[in-house]
Amino acid sequence: MTTRTTAPPALEVRNVTVRFAGLVALDDVSFTVAPGTVHAVIGPNGAGKSTCFNVLSGLYRPAVGTVRLGDTELTRLAPHKIAALGVARTFQNIVTTQGTVADNLMLGRHALSRAGFAASALRLPHAVREQRAHLAKARQIAELTGLGGHFESPVALLSYGDRKRVELARALCLEPRVLLLDEPVAGMNAAERVRMTEVVREIRAELGLSLVLVEHDMGLVMRLADEVTVLDFGKAIAHGTPDEVRRDPEVLRAYLGTGTTGEEAA
Amino acid sequence: MSDLLKSARLRRSGTFLLPALLLCALPFYLDAFWLRIGLFSMAAAIGAVGLGLLSGTAGQLSLGHAFFLAVGAYGYVWLAGEPGPGLPPALAAGLAVLLAGAAGGLFSPVAGRVKGIYLGVATLALVFLGHHVLLTAESVTGGFNGRSVPPLELGGFTFAESDPELTVLGVPFGAEERLWYLGLALFALTWFTARGVLRGRPGRALAALRDSETAASVMGVPVARYRSAAFVVSSMYAGLAGVLLALSFRRVVPDYFSLLLSVDYLAMIVIGGLGSVAGATAGAVFVTALPLLMTRYADQLPLVATPGSGDGSLGPTEASRYLYGAAIVVILLYAPDGLHGLARRIRARLRGRPSATGLPGPAPSSATTETTATTARAKEHTP
Repeated sequence: MTTRTTAPPALEVRNVTVRFAGLVALDDVSFTVAPGTVHAVIGPNGAGKSTCFNVLSGLYRPAVGTVRLGDTELTRLAPHKIAALGVARTFQNIVTTQGTVADNLMLGRHALSRAGFAASALRLPHAVREQRAHLAKARQIAELTGLGGHFESPVALLSYGDRKRVELARALCLEPRVLLLDEPVAGMNAAERVRMTEVVREIRAELGLSLVLVEHDMGLVMRLADEVTVLDFGKAIAHGTPDEVRRDPEVLRAYLGTGTTGEEAA
Repeated sequence: MSDLLKSARLRRSGTFLLPALLLCALPFYLDAFWLRIGLFSMAAAIGAVGLGLLSGTAGQLSLGHAFFLAVGAYGYVWLAGEPGPGLPPALAAGLAVLLAGAAGGLFSPVAGRVKGIYLGVATLALVFLGHHVLLTAESVTGGFNGRSVPPLELGGFTFAESDPELTVLGVPFGAEERLWYLGLALFALTWFTARGVLRGRPGRALAALRDSETAASVMGVPVARYRSAAFVVSSMYAGLAGVLLALSFRRVVPDYFSLLLSVDYLAMIVIGGLGSVAGATAGAVFVTALPLLMTRYADQLPLVATPGSGDGSLGPTEASRYLYGAAIVVILLYAPDGLHGLARRIRARLRGRPSATGLPGPAPSSATTETTATTARAKEHTP
């Protein structure tokens, strides 16, 4: 079984521009995610955060610019190749497949396992062994994310918060070096948010991976992020530590408004 | 705990062993008519399992299944027969399956890129192309009248009326009896391999592709490669079904491999329940046996004319088409997960609460949870 043990390389986004028929979704955006850090990408709705994630995971091709993971350029790679390099992501609106939690987590092990059609059809010993080993690993990750009790349950029956967690666990099953989390606590209640924050913190402490976080919950961003990039109308208007960004007048104007909106105090 | 496990395993192997023994005993009691129904059903089941893998699991519609059945059937006849290379029949059968897979592979530039219902339209062309070739390439296919099928031979044993003469326990073993066991063996092989694929890594990848292409690709599944692989595997099962059909019919004719046959196979997997091997089998038996039974008992059925009477009323074949058309409507309305889902729900209801599963503790019951899960389905995400 393959395991990634090396430290994550830096993820470099250079001058990325994405256009949709005249609309500029990302305009010359650059930032670097230093190895092993938590990098938050924030901004008002429609600022281009999810577009940015779709570029990072290979679903969109930028018109201009490059994304590099260490020495590898990701911009021209298909999504499954990027996944194989150890870049995993979750989605803003949950995208799980039918079947149980176990099925979903085992999908996350796809890039790390080998058994093809012939080996699975004939149930060759190495395929059976591989499946068993990966199932054990998936169960371990389910425990880590607090899904241990739901391992055999169909995903469709889980609560919203648990399904969000299935997505996170599935991404972790890829043993990522870079983990992209698209609004991990959106739509969750206070208790679920606290649990999710704990899980993310634990992941970071235990697995030593780089984390890119898109989130509206400023409390979470301020608590978890080492560095923040602020997008507004597709442009990166500020970079820095959470404290620096919080004081940046440009950010206050564009994103936090007057700074008195209660919901963002969290 | 180990006792519990052992009894569970015993029960599980029992559920397989009992039907298997029953199926093996049938040739001693049934006459050729019933055995032939069984044979056609087994062949159809093999093909349906293949289509189920493609349409039910991978979510790719195919109307070209008849084409690949034809490739298997005619491939065997040509490879084993005269005119043709005249290979040993067992080798020809194996090659015919590979040939069907290769034909699926040739189509894979399309099958890998085109999605869902659009693939259905693209594969439509294959049926017409195939039918045309079967009619015109007379030196290979025998044209409109088709060709007779050379019997299968395995190590001196022929799957035909004689050579060697065979009587087991006082029952003379003719072609039907012998082919029955061949069919059972091939069907068991299909069941074993298809379940292995579905429950293994490729099956999960295909199901993920069906539910969300985006999620599958960012989790590392190469979309195009898996789509074409599903198509090739499905074609190989169709080829195997074609070989068995040819052996059971003893003559292959082009008109059998029409669009209607493709539609029949789609009906099988819809009636049986998409995405399950058992469901595809049940659907295959239903769709195959119904017209044969109605033909046999036409004189006793109201509103159905005996074949050949030609007085303008409903023939048994048409009548059975109406019947399974109605069955599809009823199933789509009341049991969208097909016969397989229906059986599972009935079983769950009979069992009642989960205590019967023998699991201690408050583990979530698979019996009751599964039923609702099949109706709910994750939504496709568009980034």
